[in-house]
Amino acid sequence: MTLVTPRLWATRNALHRHPGRAGALLALAAAFWGACLATVVRILRYFHDVGEFGPLLTQRLLLLVLVSFFVVLLISNTVTALTTFYLADDVSLLLGLPVSHRRLHRGRFVETLVAASWMAVVFGLPVFLGYGLVYQAGASYYAATLAVLALLVVMPTALGVLVSTGLVLVFPAHRTRDAMFVGVGLLVAVTVGVVRMLQPEQLGDDSGLVGFAGFLASFEATGSPYLPTTWAADVLLAGLGVRAGDALFHLGMLASTAAMLYCVSATVVERLYLRAWTRAQTGRVARGGERSLATWLEGLARPLPRLRRLLLVKDLTVFLRDPSQWSQLLLLAALIALYVYNFSVLPLDDGTPLSLAMRELAVVLNLGLATFVTTAIAVRFVYPMVSLEGRAWVVLRTAPISLEQIWWSKFWIGYVPLLGFAALLIAATNGYLGVPAGLTASFLVTLVPLVAALVSLGLSFGAAHPRLDVPNAAQIATGFGAIVYMVTSLLLIAVVITLEAWPTWRLLRAARTGHALAAPEVAGVVALYGAALTVLVVVFVAARRSGLHALARLPL
Amino acid sequence: MIRFEGLQKTYGDVAAVGGLDFAVEAGCVFGFLGRNGAGKTTTIRMMMGLLEPSAGTVRLGGHDIRTAPEAAKSLAGYLPDRPYLYEKLTGLELLRFVGGLHGLGRAEAAARGAALLAAFRLESRGGALIETYSHGMKQRLALAAALIHRPRILILDEPMVGLDPEGAVELRTLLRRLAADGVTIFLSTHSLPVAEELCHRIGIIDRGRLVALGTLAELRARAASGERVTVDGQHPSLERVFLDILEADAA
Repeated sequence: MTLVTPRLWATRNALHRHPGRAGALLALAAAFWGACLATVVRILRYFHDVGEFGPLLTQRLLLLVLVSFFVVLLISNTVTALTTFYLADDVSLLLGLPVSHRRLHRGRFVETLVAASWMAVVFGLPVFLGYGLVYQAGASYYAATLAVLALLVVMPTALGVLVSTGLVLVFPAHRTRDAMFVGVGLLVAVTVGVVRMLQPEQLGDDSGLVGFAGFLASFEATGSPYLPTTWAADVLLAGLGVRAGDALFHLGMLASTAAMLYCVSATVVERLYLRAWTRAQTGRVARGGERSLATWLEGLARPLPRLRRLLLVKDLTVFLRDPSQWSQLLLLAALIALYVYNFSVLPLDDGTPLSLAMRELAVVLNLGLATFVTTAIAVRFVYPMVSLEGRAWVVLRTAPISLEQIWWSKFWIGYVPLLGFAALLIAATNGYLGVPAGLTASFLVTLVPLVAALVSLGLSFGAAHPRLDVPNAAQIATGFGAIVYMVTSLLLIAVVITLEAWPTWRLLRAARTGHALAAPEVAGVVALYGAALTVLVVVFVAARRSGLHALARLPL
Repeated sequence: MIRFEGLQKTYGDVAAVGGLDFAVEAGCVFGFLGRNGAGKTTTIRMMMGLLEPSAGTVRLGGHDIRTAPEAAKSLAGYLPDRPYLYEKLTGLELLRFVGGLHGLGRAEAAARGAALLAAFRLESRGGALIETYSHGMKQRLALAAALIHRPRILILDEPMVGLDPEGAVELRTLLRRLAADGVTIFLSTHSLPVAEELCHRIGIIDRGRLVALGTLAELRARAASGERVTVDGQHPSLERVFLDILEADAA
């Protein structure tokens, strides 16, 4: 317990320091949690009413959930164990204290388990709670659920410790972690793609649920009798009264396997820890590829002014050498592909008045949706820009360059790719929607100041809520400031869309019917587009000013 | 070369630095001494424009750090108390980057970077990512980065921390050579033997106020005038002088 107290105290201190933030995050999490529960209950109720197939489908769905749960925990625990056991800064401190390897294992095991599992458990609970509600289960089901979850999270942690120890003994720790980051990104991207292909939006109507039931029916009926997930499913289904089963035996299997895996991981760590930790300290030299990357970037940036080139090459080199950025890029590519795919399958071609109205609605909303996606990307890549300077910010601040120059450099690095990305997204999706080229061009013109305002806001919030000691950009983007930035950006987009909805709709109608706009309508269109532009310019300037102010006050 | 003009920094009612007024001449090695939390690092951060003073200013080579920060910074090289660097760059890339920020051309920055890496025994690690460097290596690299543009003023915050004995000796030799070449060195240190060996003038700061300023001989004379100093005819060490001055000030 002593070894875990520093983490507990740090969490308590953070909560005391920013109670408002904790409350806001809790409220958001509760809203998401409630939405998950409602969805789960909706799906389970459908299965419940299928009749004699109901129990079979429920059983398969539960098994699918448990297998997914276990796989997610296994990946998460392996990555976390690699850090907590072999890469964390405080390990060397603990090794210098009279702490046995067994005790160190115990402390780090608990830390890994909590850090890697809390999110999966908290957001997995609605599923199990949903089962209890729909099947009106008794207290024994909820007690069984808690016992099963407690035992089920121990196993991936023990396996994660064993896998990470094995990997560290074979490969340098930093390389292992880098490969894991990219691998996890790839896995998540593929998973997102697979889930999308299941067309979850069709779960909203019964025909869609029938298709989903077909998918479940093709899933392995009972699962392997040697897998803990099968034992867990048996315990829970017995608790629900869906089918009779030897719940106590399977609970015993779960408990003994968890205990056995814990003991094995403790023994392995006790015997091999020092050797593995020593290997984990192996340094890393820039390979030929990394050196040529920097040279190639310098060549590419040669036409730019000297200072802008220097900062651009530095930022891109640091970015591309960070494997956690690559995993995010992979995920991003999957999300973009899905976004465009969604437009390709919209039911807009049956020629009915309804489909025409939907098309017009989709055109107006597309600008908002595309900029929403752009904002999500800005949260991940623009917002962390200042924090990613880390404590090395002192290098820039003591150089003879102004804060304005640094700000503009970061702005262009964020703005150009984001604008290009948003423009491509709009152009591609408008193509699917059959939007006239002139209107698409007007959208693209809107994007120029809108993306500029979003990037300016991102830099401002990023500088106002710096996390200079967090090296992982994905983690930076989950902070309180990132959430406020996201909400502010969405409000801005909503204002712009509201102002531009009517003129866009009028222009679209005029293009479709071939009738020119009357003079008052032209004036209205110009006035509303002008108002949107004014809002964006004001936001850009205000955000830039507050961003510079925050940069000047950045703690060092 | 360095002029403090009523420099102050307050946090609410607490004066971290309370009205510094003194000058450091060109070519002087100035030792800035004080207990932990006395205001040394706060002063240095204000000197480099990293912290906004509550009042007053600092002039580096005649340039006001508040009104002409770029001109002032272009004259100075700075070594912070902890060597935070871009971990994903190689040592040579960092030196070329910092050289570029100071206006050096690509070829010149690369040549000076390579020479500095060799001078600081880092040439074999120049192609390695900084994240793989030890603390002492990072310290030497940060010092190389502070020197790449051949500054006329060198501001060092605890430069000896983390250096091995060989590195410490090399640094002392380097500082003496730079001072002989006319570089003004502002040295904050806890190592009184280093200050005693290198510094032409010494300032002692306590609770944000400059409580002593002068050459080592002047400080010895001042301390000797106090009743507590007993040296049996010998020069008291800087450590004794330092403690006596602080005790006298506290009394």
